[in-house]
Amino acid sequence: MVRIPFKRLFLIIKMYPPQVGYFRPESLGEALEFLEREEAKVLAGGQSLIPMLKLRVLRPKYLVDIGGLKELSYIKEGDTISIGATTRHFELASRRIRGLEILQEAASKVGDVQVRNVGTIGGSVCNADPAADYPAVLTALDATMKVRSKKGTREVKAHDFFKGPFSVDLNPGEVLEEIRIPRLEGYSQTYRKVVRRAGDFALAGLALAIKLDSGVVKDVRIAFTGVSQGPHRAKEAEKVLRDSKLTKDVIKRASEASTSGANPPSDSRGSSWYRLEVMKRLLQTSLEVMANES
Amino acid sequence: MKVEPDQKVRINVKVNGVLHEAEVEPRKLLVDFLRDDLGLTGTKVGCDTTTCGACTILLDGRSVKSCTLLAVQAHGREITTIEGLSSDSKLSPVQEAFKDNFALQCGFCTAGMIVQATFLLSQKKDMTEEEIRDSIHGNICRCTGYQNIVNAIMDASRRMKA
Amino acid sequence: MSYSGKSVKRLYDDKFVTGRSTYVDDLKINALYAAFVRSNYAHAVIKRVHKEDALKMSGVVTVYTGEELNRVIKEGIGPWTTYIDPRPWKIPKWRFAQGEVKYAGEPVAVVLATDKYRARDAAEAITVDYEPVDAVVSMEEAKKDKVLVHKELGTNYGYKNDFVAGNPEKALESADHRKKVEIGNRRLIPSPMEPRGIVASYDGSNLSVWYSTQIPHFARAEFSRIFGIPQSRIRVVMPDVGGGFGSKAHIIPEELAVIASSMMLGKPVRWTATRTEEMMATNSRHNVFRGEIGFNNDGTLVAINGTLEVELGAYLTYTEGIQPTIIPLMIPGPYRVRDLKIESRAIYTNTIPITMYRGASRPEATFIIERLMSTVADELKLDDVTVRERNLVREDQMPYTNPFGLKYDTGDYLTLLREGVKILEYNSMKEWARKEREKGKRVGVGLAYYLEICGFGPWEYAETRVTEDGGVIVAIGGTPHGQGTETAIAQLVADELQVPIERVKVIWGDSDAIPAGTGTYGSRTVSIAGSAAVTASRQVLEKMRRVAARAMKADVEEIEYKNGEFVHKREGKKMRWEEVSRLGYSGKEPGLSASVTLEGDVTFPYGVHMAIVEVDEYGMARVKEYRAYDDIGRVINPALAEGQIHGGGTQAVGQSLYELAVINENGQLAVTYADYYVPTAVESPKFKSYFAEKYHPSPYLTKTKGVGEAALIVGPAAIVRALEDATGGKFDFTPVIPEEILKKMK
Repeated sequence: MVRIPFKRLFLIIKMYPPQVGYFRPESLGEALEFLEREEAKVLAGGQSLIPMLKLRVLRPKYLVDIGGLKELSYIKEGDTISIGATTRHFELASRRIRGLEILQEAASKVGDVQVRNVGTIGGSVCNADPAADYPAVLTALDATMKVRSKKGTREVKAHDFFKGPFSVDLNPGEVLEEIRIPRLEGYSQTYRKVVRRAGDFALAGLALAIKLDSGVVKDVRIAFTGVSQGPHRAKEAEKVLRDSKLTKDVIKRASEASTSGANPPSDSRGSSWYRLEVMKRLLQTSLEVMANES
Repeated sequence: MKVEPDQKVRINVKVNGVLHEAEVEPRKLLVDFLRDDLGLTGTKVGCDTTTCGACTILLDGRSVKSCTLLAVQAHGREITTIEGLSSDSKLSPVQEAFKDNFALQCGFCTAGMIVQATFLLSQKKDMTEEEIRDSIHGNICRCTGYQNIVNAIMDASRRMKA
Repeated sequence: MSYSGKSVKRLYDDKFVTGRSTYVDDLKINALYAAFVRSNYAHAVIKRVHKEDALKMSGVVTVYTGEELNRVIKEGIGPWTTYIDPRPWKIPKWRFAQGEVKYAGEPVAVVLATDKYRARDAAEAITVDYEPVDAVVSMEEAKKDKVLVHKELGTNYGYKNDFVAGNPEKALESADHRKKVEIGNRRLIPSPMEPRGIVASYDGSNLSVWYSTQIPHFARAEFSRIFGIPQSRIRVVMPDVGGGFGSKAHIIPEELAVIASSMMLGKPVRWTATRTEEMMATNSRHNVFRGEIGFNNDGTLVAINGTLEVELGAYLTYTEGIQPTIIPLMIPGPYRVRDLKIESRAIYTNTIPITMYRGASRPEATFIIERLMSTVADELKLDDVTVRERNLVREDQMPYTNPFGLKYDTGDYLTLLREGVKILEYNSMKEWARKEREKGKRVGVGLAYYLEICGFGPWEYAETRVTEDGGVIVAIGGTPHGQGTETAIAQLVADELQVPIERVKVIWGDSDAIPAGTGTYGSRTVSIAGSAAVTASRQVLEKMRRVAARAMKADVEEIEYKNGEFVHKREGKKMRWEEVSRLGYSGKEPGLSASVTLEGDVTFPYGVHMAIVEVDEYGMARVKEYRAYDDIGRVINPALAEGQIHGGGTQAVGQSLYELAVINENGQLAVTYADYYVPTAVESPKFKSYFAEKYHPSPYLTKTKGVGEAALIVGPAAIVRALEDATGGKFDFTPVIPEEILKKMK
């Protein structure tokens, strides 16, 4: 799925990819070897990359197709959940992970059935659309991105990984190998998004995880998508909530505080003002639901 | 497998049970391979942005939008298109149900819609109306208003159980 | 045996459900691919087109600009003179851009290449030097006539005409109340699922065009005029067409370029629009009505006085001239108001040219008059039904000539409203919604009424042939492209000839096979093509009776035809249908076919529709249910008719809440399905559709009136009314977008 930057009308007439080379490695090692040498873009499911190629926004010399690498498609459960980069959305959407229910909820809201059948979490994450679903979830959950290159492995916190619109902390030659998310047991979790039309990117989306003890907020994680250059961690709102009871007043104040630091765009989906309104209401509604459930 | 940008690559793809060997540019979209190279024009192109679903096919049994895959990605894999859903001129239950429920008008979205419905029913027989609507929102129809399509999918589900 | 009135299954669905349909892009033909270079500017002088790099690329045959193409494109695209009198219009010459571009997206060059990927690569390699000049991209700015779209016209106004009836000023003065109003529809995009496409092949003497069109015969006439080729040497074929909604009844410069290229190169040339190109080929709506109404304490509307502005875009398309000339005539709708003045204006802007779209002028008029009725209701605190009851034309006034001279044929508007209110459960649903709102939900129910003008003569062609083996081929000038009207016409013919429907084959859309025709638009096909087919069938049957009479050595009057048998009434001798068919081709008879061009007139279906809308905390509105009660005359195939309500209703949902073609300050448009919101199954409502059992027939033989556009004509008014009920806000423009709703939510 792709979003059209509003002013770039004349890119979108080009609906065939430009000439591009192709490499299908047998292993991750082979892929890294190739990426080290050549100017290439990693292709996994292609659901973000191919539309970009069709628009000719990207013109890599080669595509390195890691979509078929079994070694990168897995969900490993421990205290930390490890997800291989080419794990497909539908696999995440059909698996309920204790302490990480939010991931299933978010995965099942990505694009549509067809996109989920072939698109991968790694592909979506590396595309870093500022309105995509996973970045907010991973930011809220303090996930760690495991990045591999021929030189070795490094780990990046989600917060640092998403650098801006369509921009992540990946250097030439590097591949996102795995996403690690700490299990949040005892947290109420939800991912909600507001869309203009089913299947569309979020006007605003909210990833929320909250731990309550006798009605008092012990820990809370709030991140939005669609309202800034990248995922927006609403630290101010978290501050309001921490160690408080979910009273009407607290919820209201947290909702108001959630927009602090957000910088929503105005586009064909809605104005900046509207997105801020949606943010507040998203958080308010979600907190109200949680307050009622607890 | 490595191909230079200005070269073609030999791919093997099984389409509707028939193995096809072909040379394609790496940039060729799967839908163009099916339509232009194999002549399987039942699969349509409606939008180019992975939105409308007219190009939906089954890739290794799962529905995908063939306008958003490269032909080379299908190398070594199995594809079913609308042309592969009926055999010996006997229509599949989904195809029958679409006819019987007036689930098509101009017919342009129909192939994608039927392939998607076929996939959904292969995963789950009993779907509520809401589930069906939520599972076909990647397929746009401009003519029918969807009600008859939803009815057809429910009807097909009943036929498949019978 | 009777087929009419039954939901007979569509005859030709097998090919669609098995992938054997053939739309224009599915044609297997060895042709060059065209790709277009388009203007980035809303208004600019073309200084130079750099073709050199493109011409060097592999697979590229040539590149043409307006300089070359317009040597072949002799005449410009003009208005549809069957329905539009060009005399009061100011019309710019519209061929392929040459020297100047007038809207962002206008094609400036065409690449011809052996492969579509390479054609696109080459188009990208072409650069154009432009000198931008002042552009005017909004109707409000264009009205000032400061910046002109077409200097040679001296104004941006393409059309000015005042429609006056009675004495609106006086009626306003004597009215109990007066109220200023502003009502309109913003620009949208019709968006049939199949993007338009064309294949042209010129063989040195004859031109063949395969074309995704609703009007192959008009297209033939236009191509003849534009290229200077006699109609007899042009064949236009309409393959399967994936929806039109009025947007495939006009011709664009890209299509002329494809034909011209084929003529110049002597090779077949093809072009299929990408979705973006399709969305730039046709924009629709955008009209604003500003004025004042007068009404009395009892709720009767007595005067309408205002200005109607309709945007044209950069050029006058084949169909857009209909809007400013028909909207005013239909503003009185089914109501008795007789004192009106509508100053109708049509305005050029440097934007994508605008065309008609499903309903073509009746949706605009109906939205205006229904908003006025609701305004009166709100002002007087009367309910929507009461206000309409007090204004509807009464049965004893029928046939009724409206203040602008339209003659409403048949109907009982008041009875239908009252029946509709019951059948649609309007009052109980209103009450239900009120209670839901008390519980904190935002739900609302809205109703609106419409009177539609259908049929739109002037004539239609049909031929019925009985083949040697007793089969029946019906060739119609109508051009079904999804509606399923071919099945309805087969039902009518099978009934007329008393043969099994399996014997009847309906063909259309090939100008060589069907000598004449008008097409499918204006909800006319079953009425006008159907009546023509019935007439032709009667004539064939008469011929068969003659053949039977000669064979049985009887007078024609002595031969009775019934259920496939010709019976000699006196002697009881019989001849079977097949025997007579065979004799028709024995060398002694002239064959068994008859063709007619049947004259037709307008006819007026009407109905009441209701929407149930729910709004969430974000201002996102969803139409949960849509119910319709219509008198569309006799119903030949209820399932097909319902399908039109479902489809039109869903487009009404789109027009009311989702579909907005946003033109930015540079005249550019958001143009993919990823950001233009055609409703999906999730946004679409549940439908209930009812047709009046005691219908009022049209003057057509079929007694039908038409249903193709009804729900898009009245739907927006019903949906917006429901939205008002749900939120307490007031909305007078479509689409109503979420943030407007949120701002007015109580």
